[in-house]
Amino acid sequence: MILEILSVGLIISACLAIFLDEAVYSVAALAGTLFLTSLLYAFSDAPFAAVFQFAVGAGTLAILFLSGEMLSETPTKTSQKNLMLITATGVLLSLPAIFLSISEIPAALSGISFGEALWNFRAVDVVLQGFVIMVVALGIAIVLHEKRKGEK
Amino acid sequence: MDYVILSMILLAIGIYGLLTKRDLLKVFVSVELIATAATLNFVMLVPTLGKGLGEAFLILAFSTDTCVSGVILALLVIVHKKYGTSDIGDLVKMEESKEESEVEA
Repeated sequence: MILEILSVGLIISACLAIFLDEAVYSVAALAGTLFLTSLLYAFSDAPFAAVFQFAVGAGTLAILFLSGEMLSETPTKTSQKNLMLITATGVLLSLPAIFLSISEIPAALSGISFGEALWNFRAVDVVLQGFVIMVVALGIAIVLHEKRKGEK
Repeated sequence: MDYVILSMILLAIGIYGLLTKRDLLKVFVSVELIATAATLNFVMLVPTLGKGLGEAFLILAFSTDTCVSGVILALLVIVHKKYGTSDIGDLVKMEESKEESEVEA
């Protein structure tokens, strides 16, 4: 039951994130989406994924709130009627996920622990992802630095 | 409850936002939703591949998602600083008028 409630909330907040006009409210709705996703992971017996989702979501949203405040232009208010319409759309959209089923979940193939899976099976991926993240972070820093130099 | 249908609905909402919204911040929110929809599928792998491997895949997907978010946000800030707007329509108009003035010159 709790998973169904979380999935309805997830779809409603996703709809609000897309359809709300004000940037800050839209980002707040996205925060709700990410928080509910992490709760969904936690209740689906994936605690590591829940913690990572929460951490990544918190970081992304902190920056998004700042940029939302900085970049948003003249705000336009979403009317109460539109808000109700968006919420109703979200509830309607979440119904198929609750009542329909298209996938069959086979039994667990193995009981590998998270640490084993990460380092024994996906070690190369993890190391390469580390390099990719480092390169991306450096690239962003260089792009922003060049931009600032160009302005001077 | 079916995670595949849930993720398909999230993906549809994200793609709708990506195609119809003209504000770059909204486009970024749409990309985030699409990424969330993609990573939600890995929860399906938890019972299939075993808890550890499913979560390992999920965390690798998170790191890619974070990289994409970082790049998009950097581009968003640069575009807003350069052109003073984050509306895609205004940006296209500005580029067109710039090209026209270059041709006339």
